[in-house]
Amino acid sequence: MRASLALLLCAAAGVAQAADLRVSVVDGANLPVADAAVYATPRVPVPHGALPRTAIDQVHRAFVPLVSVVQAGTPIAFPNSDNIRHSVYSFSPAKVFTLKLYAGTPSNPVLFDQPGIVVLGCNIHDTMVAWVLVVDTPYFVRTAADGKATLSGLPPGDYELRAWNNSMAQEQAGEPVRIGGDALSPRQLRVDGQSLATVH
Amino acid sequence: MRLNTLRSKMVVFLVALLGIVQITVFALVNTATTNAARTKIDDELTVGEKVFASDLKQNADRLAQAATVLASDFAFREAIATGDGATVDSALENHGARVKAAVVLFVDLQGMVVDDTLRVGAAPRRFEFQSLIAQAKSAGQAAAIETLDQRVLQLVAVPVQAPLSIGWIVIGFPVDQPLATQLRNLTGLQVSFVTEQDGRWNILASTLSTDQSQTLTARLPSYRQALLTRVISMPQQHQLRVVPLGESGSQHFVAVLQRPIDDAMGSFRMLTAKLVVLGLFSLALSITGSVLIAVGITRPIDALLQAVKRMRGGDYSIPIAIHRGDEIGILAHGLDHMRAGIAEREQRILKLAYEDSLTQLPNRSQFSERLQREIVSAGEQHRMLAIFVMDLDRFKYVNDTLGHSVGDHVLREVAVRLRNLLPEDDCVARLGGDEFAVLVPTGDEERVVSLAKSIILALEQPIDFAGQPLDVGASIGIALYPSHALDAQTLVRNADIAMYVAKRNRSGYTLYDPHYDTTQQQHLSLLGELRRAVEQGELRLYYQPKVTLSSAGVHAAEALIRWVHPVRGMVPPGLFIPFAEHTGYIKILTRWVLSEAIRQCGVWMRQHMDIEISVNLSARDLMTRDLPELISALLTEHGVPPHMICLEITESGFMEDPAHAQRVLDRLSAIGLRLSIDDYGTGYSSLSYIMKLPVNELKIDRAFVSNMSEDADMMTIVRSTIELGHSLGLKVVAEGIEDPKGYALLRSLGCDFAQGYYISPPMPAEALPGWLNGSIAIRRLPEAMIAQALAESGESSLSAAG
Repeated sequence: MRASLALLLCAAAGVAQAADLRVSVVDGANLPVADAAVYATPRVPVPHGALPRTAIDQVHRAFVPLVSVVQAGTPIAFPNSDNIRHSVYSFSPAKVFTLKLYAGTPSNPVLFDQPGIVVLGCNIHDTMVAWVLVVDTPYFVRTAADGKATLSGLPPGDYELRAWNNSMAQEQAGEPVRIGGDALSPRQLRVDGQSLATVH
Repeated sequence: MRLNTLRSKMVVFLVALLGIVQITVFALVNTATTNAARTKIDDELTVGEKVFASDLKQNADRLAQAATVLASDFAFREAIATGDGATVDSALENHGARVKAAVVLFVDLQGMVVDDTLRVGAAPRRFEFQSLIAQAKSAGQAAAIETLDQRVLQLVAVPVQAPLSIGWIVIGFPVDQPLATQLRNLTGLQVSFVTEQDGRWNILASTLSTDQSQTLTARLPSYRQALLTRVISMPQQHQLRVVPLGESGSQHFVAVLQRPIDDAMGSFRMLTAKLVVLGLFSLALSITGSVLIAVGITRPIDALLQAVKRMRGGDYSIPIAIHRGDEIGILAHGLDHMRAGIAEREQRILKLAYEDSLTQLPNRSQFSERLQREIVSAGEQHRMLAIFVMDLDRFKYVNDTLGHSVGDHVLREVAVRLRNLLPEDDCVARLGGDEFAVLVPTGDEERVVSLAKSIILALEQPIDFAGQPLDVGASIGIALYPSHALDAQTLVRNADIAMYVAKRNRSGYTLYDPHYDTTQQQHLSLLGELRRAVEQGELRLYYQPKVTLSSAGVHAAEALIRWVHPVRGMVPPGLFIPFAEHTGYIKILTRWVLSEAIRQCGVWMRQHMDIEISVNLSARDLMTRDLPELISALLTEHGVPPHMICLEITESGFMEDPAHAQRVLDRLSAIGLRLSIDDYGTGYSSLSYIMKLPVNELKIDRAFVSNMSEDADMMTIVRSTIELGHSLGLKVVAEGIEDPKGYALLRSLGCDFAQGYYISPPMPAEALPGWLNGSIAIRRLPEAMIAQALAESGESSLSAAG
């Protein structure tokens, strides 16, 4: 699935100022992929202030939520709702960190400042795993059950459009998308050597 | 012990049976034991094989666990995840050393060997055993034995998770001596790790000695066969299992598990040896037992056998003393009962066969057997023995005139007298009829003769029957062993001959003389010749004149038979007449004599010579039924009146069977024939009996006549006989006159006729007429001579009267 995941992008031509980009994600078998992250990274980084922090809880020896998508620079807290202690770690290059065994909520959240895929584990509970997709854009959304999602309010400009879910070990190459100006013409894109996405 | 006896048969049978049972039991037990042993050691090996497999897997699991522990190590994962090459290498080495690994590899998710403790810093290469990774991917871990860098290793692959799998740790452990030793300690089997390639076996590690290892590789067959091989010769037998462990290309890895069969069979061998000893012991015990049983059964049978042998030999006297409750006892009892019965019956049969029922004396058979036995013992002891054969003189007369019951009484009384007279040792037997025999086993001739005399004396005593005295005498013939004969038969025959001589001579007893026997022998040869004599006309009749003493005339002659034998010349009648009487041939002779005499009488009558002719008849002739008719026919034929023929019969002739003799004589007398009693005075005929007979004449026996000149007693007998005859109205004839003195005496005594050599010997018929003319002088003796004779004999009174 990871290898055959197709990203179907449907960009709807809209207003000159801002536009909504409708996207549908399918896999290699043309089946819709739910809960996939769809995000568009502007060519020109968008400056931002301090980002609100979020949290990944640990409940019944599992991370909740399983998959998180955050903008780079977001601090994530790792509360422990279990009555046992956990030791959260990541060896992923985007964010390497280790929280020593703890219970409750650590005092400092972890700042995810580099875009990339971060796989989280617990050092003493091998079955616990969670994914955090760190993106360098505020425009990201999760697909619905029908594999569709809409990126709303994209200012005109050039973007790299990508889709990802946790079966994928690495991010795909970006699909260039221009918002504003000429209308989008449909074309085929290859992702991981496969024709997967169609941008509208 | 002969093989065909019951005992040996039983012993052989029992021993064979027990032997077969023992051998069968042994064979069965041994087979079962051996099978059990083989199954057991086979099972043991199978168990060993399973233990080995289990141990091997445990070993792999243990190794995998070690690898897993290594792969889970946080720092290790961190080192790998953070991609610090040098750190990773050192971590692999460090952790590999912890679990005593030969090699540790890190294989990334693309199947590339990123790190290799044996090739630090080398460029990544594709992992050689992708299937191991694939297996680990699906099972979480994987193990296999492979060759890596010319080393046989047990490889274990486990994933490295951070927390997702980021690659594979492959740890290689050497398959080496410590492993083999460890497995041997667990399984109790010799363990060898061996590789095979192109039929060549190569030992990697083994608990066997170096020599044994070499033997093993040399003797293992091809790979496929090796998997099926169960036993191998090392050279001692080893049980064997070849367990495949893995393969790499054309190379096979196996573990060879083995152990010597002797180790496993040791306890069973001991069991078998015990079984053999036990079998031999019980066989020996059973042989002894069966022999004892066989002997126990056959001993009484042997005793029975002995008893039967005794009985077969005729000895029924010894009882069979086997007292048992079993069948043999019953058999013995029955056999003994039978033996007693047979003994009793034999006794009875013997009695019947060997005893005379009338007198209870031994019979002829017993006498013969006893005689034969006595002859044997006498021969051994060089002693003499004697037998008497005895015949009662007047028994026939008693029997015929007084009846058989009287006869039986006489025989019993004779038996009692003989038995009383003779010692116990002397065997008295009744041979049959009135014939008895006595066996005198010891003594000399003198004693024998005196014994004979005493018997004669004892039997001369009249036998009393219902107050009436019966007078029976006996004649005894005596034969002695060894002087008269050497065998029983001849001895009896000789005694018989002697007895006949005694009877003829009226001598009471006669000792056998070989001369009698030669006479008998001659008689035998005479039979044929006598027949020829009648047919060929060799017989002649001689005539001896009877002178009428009162007138000196001759009016009668006695016809005497003569045999002119062509070779022997004149045969005296004494040589063939007794024989003819004995054989019955006398009838033929008498017939011829009668015929010839009557013919001659007729001839002479026609010549005017009236000569009365006397013919001797024997006792047997009297038995001839048609004698009167025969004589009548002859008289008629030759024209002779009956009174011209006188028949002379001896006393003994009619004393044999007086009743019959009486009847015949009556018939002859009725014809008109004259009858004369010949040899009067020698028999024992009673006068009362003679008075009943129709006789005309008494003929005084020559024994008296020839001796009367010298013997006064004889003279008295002759005189009284003449007087007796005359008083009964009979003519009296004297024969045996040999001198003129006797002739003169007889005339003076008033005897009617005289006959003898003094007057004339018998002469042929043709000589008689001439003799008649020339003999007047002899016949008419001078009176002076007669007077002298009388004077010499002291009979003067008579001469005065004559």
